[in-house]
Amino acid sequence: MNPVKIRIAVSVSIFTLFLFLFCGGEKTVSFLSSALLPLQFVPALVRTLTNPSALFTIGLISLILMTLIFGRVYCSFLCPLGMLQDIFIALSRRIGWRKTHSFQKPRNLMRYSLLGIIIISAALGSLSLLNLFDPFSIIGRFMTQFIQPLFSRLYNFTIRLMKLFDIYLFSRDISPLILPALLVNIALVIVIATMSLRHGRLYCNTLCPVGALLGLMARVSFFKFAIDKNRCIGCLQCADVCKAGCIDTLNAKIDQSRCVGCFNCLSICPQSIVSYQSSVKQTANASWSPERRSILIGSVAAAGSAFLMFNSGMRGLLQPVHAAPASPIAPPGSVSLDHFTRSCSSCHLCVSACPTKVITPSFVEYGIRGLLQPKMNYPDSFCEYECNLCGKICPTGAILPLSPEEKQITQIGEVDLLKDKCVVYVKNENCGACVEVCPTRTLTFINKGNILYPEVDNRYCIGCGACSHACPTAPKSIIVRSNPVHKKAEKYVAPKLSTPQEKTIHDEFPF
Amino acid sequence: MTQTSKTDRREFLKKGLSLGLAAGGAIILGKTDFLHAREPARTIPDLVAVKNGDPDAMFKKAIALMGGMEQFVKKGQTVVVKPNIGFPRRPEIGATTNPLLVKTVIESCYQAGASKVYVFDNVVTPTSGNARNCYKLSGIEDAARAAGGIIVPVDDFGYQTVNIPGAKTLKTTEVHRLILDAGVFINVPVLKHHSSAHLSIAMKNLMGIVRNRMKYHLTGLDQCIADFCLYKKPDLNIVDAYRVLMSDGPDGPRDPKDAQVTLKKTLLLSKDIVAVDAAATRIFGKNPEDIGYIKIAHQQKTGNMNLNKLKIVTYTM
Repeated sequence: MNPVKIRIAVSVSIFTLFLFLFCGGEKTVSFLSSALLPLQFVPALVRTLTNPSALFTIGLISLILMTLIFGRVYCSFLCPLGMLQDIFIALSRRIGWRKTHSFQKPRNLMRYSLLGIIIISAALGSLSLLNLFDPFSIIGRFMTQFIQPLFSRLYNFTIRLMKLFDIYLFSRDISPLILPALLVNIALVIVIATMSLRHGRLYCNTLCPVGALLGLMARVSFFKFAIDKNRCIGCLQCADVCKAGCIDTLNAKIDQSRCVGCFNCLSICPQSIVSYQSSVKQTANASWSPERRSILIGSVAAAGSAFLMFNSGMRGLLQPVHAAPASPIAPPGSVSLDHFTRSCSSCHLCVSACPTKVITPSFVEYGIRGLLQPKMNYPDSFCEYECNLCGKICPTGAILPLSPEEKQITQIGEVDLLKDKCVVYVKNENCGACVEVCPTRTLTFINKGNILYPEVDNRYCIGCGACSHACPTAPKSIIVRSNPVHKKAEKYVAPKLSTPQEKTIHDEFPF
Repeated sequence: MTQTSKTDRREFLKKGLSLGLAAGGAIILGKTDFLHAREPARTIPDLVAVKNGDPDAMFKKAIALMGGMEQFVKKGQTVVVKPNIGFPRRPEIGATTNPLLVKTVIESCYQAGASKVYVFDNVVTPTSGNARNCYKLSGIEDAARAAGGIIVPVDDFGYQTVNIPGAKTLKTTEVHRLILDAGVFINVPVLKHHSSAHLSIAMKNLMGIVRNRMKYHLTGLDQCIADFCLYKKPDLNIVDAYRVLMSDGPDGPRDPKDAQVTLKKTLLLSKDIVAVDAAATRIFGKNPEDIGYIKIAHQQKTGNMNLNKLKIVTYTM
């Protein structure tokens, strides 16, 4: 069987499953997230380092073993952003922008120093840089901000048409557009699209931290692609189809660290001179090269200087955000702003899955350390009391899973009733919109002269924002203030009823 | 003098006896349902109240006493049934209309010849996820489907702005087109405690056919609830007072264990939305005079809250 065909089949199905993951309903998302995400490198790595779980650790170990045995096949088989680039590349070939590829010089200083800086900044507690360049996060944000809204609009439009035939279905809520986050993502997609349209898998070998890290492992992988120098007729066909531009036909060498394992060269070579075999069989040529040494020195130097820079100047910026009056509210299960910003990879899966669309991307609200990480978008929406989906699907454990009972007492913020704005206090007229929707008994009425004044008891509040969402005044008279460290709320216990709950009355009609 | 007084006495005795006989007979015959079976109600009573039965049986009895569903639904008409599905709560809590009642009402509409029966409510927090929960948890979605009703979810597209002539506060609002286009509009509220409006019954239930209910909260609930009835009165109001939520309304507690529910096992039927609200208020144990919107609607001549002025038929099963 042609390995290229297998590769296309696998990557197309993975990409399709990702479409379902980001556009499907609650059940689809819960199922697919546990099936797909342990085999995505950054989620598996971040999960293992910050909130270890067996599934993701096994995933990470399998990915590392796979790379050590087969090279960077992850990039061609499993990475959905790789697949997206392959779509761009195929498009470019179809319309003739770039029909063939050619050998490119390695940009090792760039990719290894970027990797170094990302590792150091992550070690210092900020995933911002990683999140900007991580392929899984990029594809997640791409799906969440472009594909899902498009899909939902199409779906809602179809539903409107179906009404004409008396078929009624529930429409889907659409996330609000958060402009700064959208612009960052548009910029990234444009950069990656341009790179792939013009230069194939250039992103994978310059900006992608996963590519760089797996490349280091692939240098010593068991199976390697090789050209038999003696038999090669120099037809250059393999270099023409090499999207990574890593085949140096002049010297009949293949740069293992940049090869994305697409098997194109293997299947096109007319004489089967390009081979994929155990590295032991291959004639061990130079294990030492001056080039590699300079790379090593360069990356160590870059990492060192980056480390100094972070330590002196940027450390303050990376400190956890503390109870500033307007600090953002992190989703339930994220323990604290510190825990959340330290482990969220900004893939926005929670943003796309959230049924009430209350989770939206932030921009710099969490500070520079938590760029684009999701937050609760009050009062535009509210967190559904019964729902605990985001914790169930979060791949990195930034939002830890909560049982419904735990979620219902997890206090992510407290409410503040602004009596100088509230219509009941200002106009002395009944309103009660907030009390009506409060799921926890935080809000109750005090009856003064047959007018019902809302009153707050924050012991029970979980910060779900239903009251703020319902409040009819503009600006809102009741707002949620963030808890930098999430707390436990008390559960309201109804006073013991002296009579049985279901009383039966057999009086005569009162009229 | 004596002559006249004699005749007077005789007359008095005669009249008294015959009146007593008639009244007694009416009571006996009424109990056995003999009168109505013989003579279908030519004059529809203002209000029918039935108690001590299951929701479906009580409705069947009540609508028969009202002269049959054919009085309200003509052959080929489309019907909108508007239960209270405002909150994601189980039926035991009494925050939503009894699903069995909704099912029986839909069946009855089809039996009367309705071409289509729609079921609609704009839930209190109208996100599609929450609406789905409300429809599902209340048991109304399944019950309505079983009877062939068409469940219509909330969306933002189907609303049309209307003016309300004579309104004091709610001069204009947006109403769902389904209601405007329907041949028959049947209101099927549940009687329950309401934190800010005291009680939620038939008039309050109409907040679920407008788009922006927060305008009511902001500008005065009682006046707005009463104002809306100047625009649209349902063709029939069926009040579910089987399981009555006595406190913590309108949503009630999440846990059925905490719900303070009284089994009143009562059903009210009337064309007059004010009368039916007044009667339900009595059943709850309150005085209609104390419920702001009932009083305002009575003053605005939407209906009559003086129950002693109305022709009421009661029946105990």
